[in-house]
Amino acid sequence: SAMAGNANTSNLLMVSGERLTGESVRHQNVVAAASIANIVKTSLGPVGLDKMLVDDVGDVTITNDGATILKLLEVEHPAAKILVELAQLQDEEVGDGTTSVVLVAAELLKNAEELMSLKIHPTTIISGYRLACREAVKFINERLVISVDDLARDNIVNAAKTSMSSKIIGCDAELFAAMAVDAAMAVRVADGKGGHRYPIKAVNVLKAHGGSTRDSVLINGYALNCTVGSVQMPKRITNAKIACLDFSLQKSKMKLGIQLVIETPEQLELMRARESDLTKERVQKIMASGANVILTTGSIDDLCMKYFVEAGAMAVRRCKKIDLKRIAKATGGQFVVSMTNLEGEESFDASLLGQAECVAQERISDDELIVIRGPKSRSAASIVLRGANDFYCDEMERSVHDALCVVKRVLEGRQLVPGGGAVEVALNIYLENYATSLASREQMAIAEFARALLCVPKQLAVNAAQDSTELLAQLRARHNASQVKKDCAAYKWFGLDLQEGKVRDNKEAGVLEPAVSKIKSLKFATEAAITILRIDDQIKLTPEAPPSHGGH
Amino acid sequence: MSGGTPVIVLNQNTKREQGRKVQLTNIQSAKTVADVIRTCLGPQAMLKMLMDPMGGIVMTNDGNAILREITVQHPAAKSMIEIARTQDEEVGDGTTSVIILAGEILAVSTAFLEQSIHPTIIITAYRQALEDMLEMASSRYSVDVDTNDTDKMHELIRTCLGTRVHTQWNQVACRIALDAVRTVHKERGSDGQAQEIDIKRYARIEKIPGGSIEDSCVLDGIMINKDVVHPQMRRRIANPRIVLLDCDLEYKKGESQTNVEIRQEEDFTRLLQLEEEYIKTVCQAVLAVKPDLVITEKGVSDLAQHYLVKAGVSVLRRLRRTDQWRVARAIGATIVNRPDELKEEDIGTGCGLFEVRKIGDEYYSYLVQCRNPKACTIVLRGPSKDILNEMDRSLNDALNVARNIVLKPKLCPGGGAFEMAIAHAVSEKGKALTTVHQGPYRALAAALEVIPRTLIQNCGANVIRTLTALRAKHAGTEPEDWMWGVDGETGKLRHMKADGIWEPLSVKNQVLKTATETAILLLRIDDIVSGTKKGGVEGAAAAAKAAANEAAQPAAGGDE
Repeated sequence: SAMAGNANTSNLLMVSGERLTGESVRHQNVVAAASIANIVKTSLGPVGLDKMLVDDVGDVTITNDGATILKLLEVEHPAAKILVELAQLQDEEVGDGTTSVVLVAAELLKNAEELMSLKIHPTTIISGYRLACREAVKFINERLVISVDDLARDNIVNAAKTSMSSKIIGCDAELFAAMAVDAAMAVRVADGKGGHRYPIKAVNVLKAHGGSTRDSVLINGYALNCTVGSVQMPKRITNAKIACLDFSLQKSKMKLGIQLVIETPEQLELMRARESDLTKERVQKIMASGANVILTTGSIDDLCMKYFVEAGAMAVRRCKKIDLKRIAKATGGQFVVSMTNLEGEESFDASLLGQAECVAQERISDDELIVIRGPKSRSAASIVLRGANDFYCDEMERSVHDALCVVKRVLEGRQLVPGGGAVEVALNIYLENYATSLASREQMAIAEFARALLCVPKQLAVNAAQDSTELLAQLRARHNASQVKKDCAAYKWFGLDLQEGKVRDNKEAGVLEPAVSKIKSLKFATEAAITILRIDDQIKLTPEAPPSHGGH
Repeated sequence: MSGGTPVIVLNQNTKREQGRKVQLTNIQSAKTVADVIRTCLGPQAMLKMLMDPMGGIVMTNDGNAILREITVQHPAAKSMIEIARTQDEEVGDGTTSVIILAGEILAVSTAFLEQSIHPTIIITAYRQALEDMLEMASSRYSVDVDTNDTDKMHELIRTCLGTRVHTQWNQVACRIALDAVRTVHKERGSDGQAQEIDIKRYARIEKIPGGSIEDSCVLDGIMINKDVVHPQMRRRIANPRIVLLDCDLEYKKGESQTNVEIRQEEDFTRLLQLEEEYIKTVCQAVLAVKPDLVITEKGVSDLAQHYLVKAGVSVLRRLRRTDQWRVARAIGATIVNRPDELKEEDIGTGCGLFEVRKIGDEYYSYLVQCRNPKACTIVLRGPSKDILNEMDRSLNDALNVARNIVLKPKLCPGGGAFEMAIAHAVSEKGKALTTVHQGPYRALAAALEVIPRTLIQNCGANVIRTLTALRAKHAGTEPEDWMWGVDGETGKLRHMKADGIWEPLSVKNQVLKTATETAILLLRIDDIVSGTKKGGVEGAAAAAKAAANEAAQPAAGGDE
């Protein structure tokens, strides 16, 4: 790099590259953030539309999910990358609301820039935003939450429906919401503290093109995308005893580096015979324990298939490890890594077997699935999605995943907030009033924070081709009334009705979101905006020239 | 430095299209795909000749086969091509109709987009219309059928095959399809075993050039393109006892790596002897169960052949795994891996006759006259390879039709009558809608008319006159007026029930579902970004696709 440094003598730093400072870097960052928000903003809300993303080789992804869109885009600007990561974070932590979090963060930045042009120092803005965020979260928790305890299953279903309303399965939200709730309930486990956890990752979502969206089914059991090892095996076993193995049932082979020295040629024969007998004995031990369904992550030799066929057992090879672990848990069995016991002997105990009412191979479209129904120790759920083609199924899977996440949040957090922009507008009114009550320099930053929140309901209305100014004015009036007048308290549930272009009580209409996802997205958006605001200098190194250009 | 410098956010190779333009180009490309195969619908369908990059020729009028061969650029067009595959895998028929219908549905949507009706409203209306159509289809516009009535079934399959090549072949294909499906059909078992018709696995089509088309038939057993391994073995055995093996009848080294160091000369001889002894013991084990015929997936050494010939046992070797499965199912045998574990119940005795026949230059082993074959081979004969291939494709359609009817014995009238009836009913129902949804709802019904319209177009009749007459018929009040359709050969109106032209309802339902959902998928898009990152969300799916692409590349590269 010494050479590069010489070539670029005008640069005071001993590095070659571009340096941006002060206002120009801030401006660039804000522009970059705004353009990221611009990309995703039309996919927000029940009338948002989808994006089609085509990669270098021509593969197509059709999606409405903000995180997915941003993940597939090749974003180069560093500040824009922070927003992409923000969407990813929201996706991992909450699973839903990835579009709105990006919108809010970009809007916060835009408003901050306006303040900075009024010569307000970024640190003041930052502390104002922090304060506003904290107040907002407090307000949501105190005033806006609806507790699920006194609410029926309806509301959980409604929350799932709200999350799906913007997606391709929006028309069938009813069906899928019920499916998501049932699936989440099925995988419920106690957390040991009197409550429950809902590990929705245990809901296996499979895709099969063909049929129509409404032919999608929730299977009350675990579905595996595998087939039995040999066509001669039975396709259905009731009262199944399931062995989940993590080793191959193949002719045993000595590990590298092991040498056996034998004296006579006959012993060579014995070695060969032993190779196949070893596995045979293993299979016999497993069968002797009473197993009639054998699932393994490895492979099964043809040599062993016959024993299973003769015993009328199902043997399935090359299952995914993660699937088998879940099956073992659900059926009350154990995931067996090796048959060797502490004494060094090989054994297989009947207590290692899991149990299920029925295991069957079922046909869906051109594919076949192994379905384990009625597992003994806890219920399981799998969702089989059907759709016109692969793109359709992929997008359905993303939407169902979002819905499952929402259901999980609702069930674990047990708190809901009204959707359709209600929270944002309520916070806007509250924070504006709060700002005026504050006699410090943060006042303006808090007011801008309040204004930035309005971008969500505004965008919702714009996507629905409604008059956003008019609707927002109505909504703000309602929320203002609810916060100042005692008898108007019920107005705080008011949000947008995008089909009709009106404001309505979204609690009654069943447009609900989990409180925790709203709170988290607010926090994440604020943090991301602050991260970008703190930047006042950007140095972009030019990539080092390859050594071949060294020049001697 | 000022704010004037452009801010580069995305990779500069990224191209982006937005808004109305995207919707219209999507629709345009979907229509283009539909136009490619428009002439392949109906009895007057024309074949397409497709040249692949290697210079090979495919001649077909099967929608899926055509679309599989052509390469398209536009992402929306790719989505269209995918649905032909979906249709093919799900029901195996109606691939042309589904593409034409999807294209038409998108085409009628243009008008609403231009009137600035929001896509989500159009979509909601379409979905509602789809539900209503499916409901009407099964409740009002279909009839039940008796699958045990052989003549009726033949006729049904024939009408579905109306568009395929030879008329003489038609007769044969129907017979074959029904026989094959009945052979592999497993009824719902008492133990809750699901009803099963697995054509792919248990009914294999073997093509033998030569002979006449009428010689094609379904065997009551299996035919394999193999000869016995030794000329002195018996080539005809009545009621053979058959052993199926999937192991070698030759000496194979163990799995562990072995090095042999020999100090005495005798030891070397002993080693060789041991190999021979091993083969001998294996052969003895096989002979112990007194088989007449041994079939193995793997090899048979000369020495083993010698022992078996001496015992009067015929041997077939190196069968494909799938053939072995079919044989096992047809003759009721278990495939055995270790000869020393052979048992009496592993032996297949279900076969009535084993015979090696010489056809043309090749030998074929027949395992026929099976007592209860649940698997079969379909032997196709025809003048040339190209014709055989086309026969194969159309027979596949026939098999699927037969399977669909047996699995779901509900039929609807063909010749566009079903579409016309549904279109009429949905359009009437739509009149009662009071919201904005009425327009798109009824438009979907109108889009269905594309099927009879294309039928009329393809046979060269006057489209407007015939279609109007057909509409008038459907508006009639007689109870069976809804069965009027178009005769795809003459372009005249025909009563489908009177002439017995039917199609399976499951195919029609799938066409409606897939076409509508594809239209929905494409209408929802308002932004296309190309040049995005490879891989991403579904790592596995993307990786699988990448692998498939790589696999395809050497094939394409071979051309250069």
